[in-house]
Amino acid sequence: MDRPRDPDDVTAFRAQEGAAVEVAPHKEPTTRREWIKENLFSTPFSGILTVLSAAFILYFGYGFLHWIFVGGEWQIVKGSLRSYMIGRFPFEEAWRVWVGFFLVAALGGLSWGVLEKRIAWSLRRIISTALVAVAGVGLLFYLIESGRVWVLLGSLIATYFGMMWFGKVVGRRLEKVVALGWLLIYPAVVLILVGFGGPSPRRWDGLLLNVMVGSIGIVASFPIGLLLALGRRSSFPAIRTFCVGFIELIRGVPLVTLIISAIFLLPLLLPPQWELNLVIRLTIVFTIFSAAYVAEIVRGGLQGVHQGQYEAAKALGLPTWRMTAFVILPQALRNTIPAMISHFISVWKDTSLLSASQANDLLDAARRSAASLDFIGHSKEAYFAAGLIFWVVAISLGRWSQRVEKRVGVGER
Amino acid sequence: MMASERDPVEMELVGEPVAEASGPAEMVVAQDVHKSFGSFEALKGVSTTVKRGEVICILGPSGSGKSTFIRTINRLERHDQGRIVVDGIELTDDIRNIEKIRSEIGMVFQSFNLFPHMSVLDNITLAPRNVRHWPKKKAEEKAMTLLERVGIPEQAKKYPAQLSGGQQQRVAIARALAMEPKIMLFDEPTSALDPEMIKEVLDVMKGLARSAMTLLVVTHETGFAKEVCDRILFFDEGLLVEESTPDRFFTDPQSERSKLFLSQIL
Amino acid sequence: MSQAAAVAAGRPPFWRDVRILRVLWQIVFSVAVIVIGREIYLNLAFGVKQQGVDLSWSFLNSQAGFSIKEGLDYSRADSIARALIVAGFNTIRIAAVGIVLASLLGLVIGVARLSRNWLVRKIAQAYVDLFRNTPVVIILLFLYFGVVYSLPRVEEGSIFDVAFVSLRGTAFPWPRTDAGAGVWGSCLLAALVIAWLVRRWRTRINEATGKPHYRFLWSFGVFLALALASYFVIGSPMKMDVPQRAGLRFTGGVQLSAEYFGLLVGLTLYTSAFIGEIIRGSILAVQKGQKEAGEALGLTPFQQLRFVVLPQAMRIAIPPINSQYQNLLKNSSLGLFVAYPELVGVGRTVINQEGRFTQVLVIWMLSYLAMTLSISTVMNGVNRLVAYRGARR
Repeated sequence: MDRPRDPDDVTAFRAQEGAAVEVAPHKEPTTRREWIKENLFSTPFSGILTVLSAAFILYFGYGFLHWIFVGGEWQIVKGSLRSYMIGRFPFEEAWRVWVGFFLVAALGGLSWGVLEKRIAWSLRRIISTALVAVAGVGLLFYLIESGRVWVLLGSLIATYFGMMWFGKVVGRRLEKVVALGWLLIYPAVVLILVGFGGPSPRRWDGLLLNVMVGSIGIVASFPIGLLLALGRRSSFPAIRTFCVGFIELIRGVPLVTLIISAIFLLPLLLPPQWELNLVIRLTIVFTIFSAAYVAEIVRGGLQGVHQGQYEAAKALGLPTWRMTAFVILPQALRNTIPAMISHFISVWKDTSLLSASQANDLLDAARRSAASLDFIGHSKEAYFAAGLIFWVVAISLGRWSQRVEKRVGVGER
Repeated sequence: MMASERDPVEMELVGEPVAEASGPAEMVVAQDVHKSFGSFEALKGVSTTVKRGEVICILGPSGSGKSTFIRTINRLERHDQGRIVVDGIELTDDIRNIEKIRSEIGMVFQSFNLFPHMSVLDNITLAPRNVRHWPKKKAEEKAMTLLERVGIPEQAKKYPAQLSGGQQQRVAIARALAMEPKIMLFDEPTSALDPEMIKEVLDVMKGLARSAMTLLVVTHETGFAKEVCDRILFFDEGLLVEESTPDRFFTDPQSERSKLFLSQIL
Repeated sequence: MSQAAAVAAGRPPFWRDVRILRVLWQIVFSVAVIVIGREIYLNLAFGVKQQGVDLSWSFLNSQAGFSIKEGLDYSRADSIARALIVAGFNTIRIAAVGIVLASLLGLVIGVARLSRNWLVRKIAQAYVDLFRNTPVVIILLFLYFGVVYSLPRVEEGSIFDVAFVSLRGTAFPWPRTDAGAGVWGSCLLAALVIAWLVRRWRTRINEATGKPHYRFLWSFGVFLALALASYFVIGSPMKMDVPQRAGLRFTGGVQLSAEYFGLLVGLTLYTSAFIGEIIRGSILAVQKGQKEAGEALGLTPFQQLRFVVLPQAMRIAIPPINSQYQNLLKNSSLGLFVAYPELVGVGRTVINQEGRFTQVLVIWMLSYLAMTLSISTVMNGVNRLVAYRGARR
């Protein structure tokens, strides 16, 4: 083989010998035919899979759609809609629930307007949003016949968008207001529901019960879980043992057992004068349950903080609790955000277990509507409806979590 | 002894000098200090004295106990045996002593250890505001002065991840200086830096040396040691093997182990 | 900074001594715990006296009086303790099978999520999005009341008269041991040892000469040959037990109740979605550079997967999969909702009947803790087995 004249010119050399390794450049499929070939039929095996999957989808998809639109007995849901939403909560007091809704919608819209940057409206985004909107509106059309509810719903949406526009106009100056708002929203909603002669929490029912117990449980569990996690890492053996034991005990048993203990055991352990009603006890149990898992998540986050951070803070003379609050925790917590949101979704789903107690939640409402003699054999529809509500909330939280992750830049910095 | 030998003009350039001698001439006294980690004895009886305004360079192979030694001085490690006295205050289990001593000592780490979730300015003002309880304005003014002193005032609002290694280490030095310490400890400050950034950090340290502050520097930079240090402490296997001036140490080491070490690094 | 008088070397006043402070905080904390604990204990004692709550364990010996539809041998005349043991066994039974099935299905889902085939990928994603975001209870209820109830009636649901699927449960053929099974068992063990030796022999050949060893084919072939040979020599010690329908019941074969089926399928589907995501995540977590290094060395995609990616992905996946197994075990407690007689369901019956909720709660906690601890221990052992040598934990 001749040597190339210019030692830096190896192209001639290569062309003569033939490249040692031939790597076919990968071309992105451009036409539709190419895309189909690449993604669906790239190998014979892949082709078989495609055919099988398509058959599978068509068969079940047809059955499913048929059931939804034609065969299913949906009156079971439609007739009991209020029961699903607020159960046996006294109807005269239902305005309280609506006020709570409006407050949350207003705050939500404001937050969105103040904090979110412009959303990139890609074609895919527009289509999926449109689909969801159409499906949602269609569903509501079918289910809701009362004109009054339509008016309320309409004004709810108007409030949301109105506050969002307001937030966008005023801008970031309202950040502190928004933060304060979220902090106060819980006491505020509970006050509205219970205060001024409102019915006791024992009367919370249906979806209302799930939302209230779930959200209060989550919010209250956060500081408790934080303390447990710090206690678990404490250098004091007594504190550490207690925290470890507590966390492992709560995490090792099924939630159902804890719910049953809320019914029977808790009244026995608490001072008899207290006489807390069942819903409050269930909320306490949910809080404890969630706190144990939050503690583990925070512990993971704390482990991710470098030892050097502790040393630098100590060398600067920062006392222990300030070091923890200003240096260690902010770093630890940022890393735990996805796990935390995933845990909250989990707690939300677990509120469905409230039906194991005598409190009546959404699932109980569904069960009751299916038990009526008119609808024997159609409990599928009831459970589907309840499941759908849970699913919608869960998946929205999930998508929101992905957006938050991107914004906060988990794993960066 | 040291202060009068400094160039007064240079003192001005690097900022106000440390408060003049008002207290014992010995800044740090270590007597027979022992420290073990489990069964491993890191310090086997180290005794030395550091005078006010001295610049001490600590050399030695890795694992010789040099980092452990300076970390016992500000209680990042607790010494098992022996006495440590800093600026007349004995280092005991008394929490008040510990806090007082820590407020007089500033430390710079090999891996900078800046707080990544805070801006440069917040990194520097955190301790003065929360430990000395300075008002925000005063702390920030001091911080900006220090940033100018280390040469990067324009980075004040940036975050550590946006700075180069050399810049981060200089911020770390400013952060330690913000507490107005009397002693600065440096634990291999340039070992984690790319070569082209070592000089900028060493320059800042030289400026500090000239300003009559007491420095203890663990380092591998022999050039720095020769140029700036008043005394060299050579550690090997947990013991202070040799103590002498830079000139004498590098040209005529006394002990066998010092000779071995120098033959490996020079 | 003023000069503090040199504190003489000696013990500092105790309220500032760092070591004393450590102990002090612990004492304060312990005292708080003790005070609260005592308060709780007093409440309990008050309840015992006032409301006649009985804290003894003697009720365990009394007759149960209720029936349990499946599991170990049990009748109404047995003690409550026996009932709880049967229930516990049911829990373990369904959790064990569920874990195995969910892992297999999860593996399939995880790989499907990463498939090059667009349709397969999207179906897997829909599956995961569906099952991860729906509460387990609703999946169970939907399956049980929706699907199981629409199964054919007993008279009709037969598959070639060999297996049955119906409302009353399913039954399918299962091998049954006859005389000589023990001998055949020992022959199988011997065959296993021989197969292992064959494997070693092939491996050694491969190391010496570089020829492909095909050791799996060799050892498996030898095992199969020996197993079949000994089977026929002994005279067919295993027969298929085919279920027969006798009126409304089945005899023979393996019978699974509708409840068991519903719970098993529900738990499997639910947990497999999570395991699939874990597997997908851990394969992606193996850094791209690893795969590229394998590619640069000339390994085929399959070899990259087998030698480089999967071993590392498996190690990453073990801790989260451990959690999922424990979740499956804990979710088995939802058998309560579909009338499968597991520990919580039966315990609830006991509480309704005897009222000894504290004791039952204690039994629950101890049992579930023991079970989750076992799973944890096994998984931690596996984790340690496959951890990188010399890696920092």
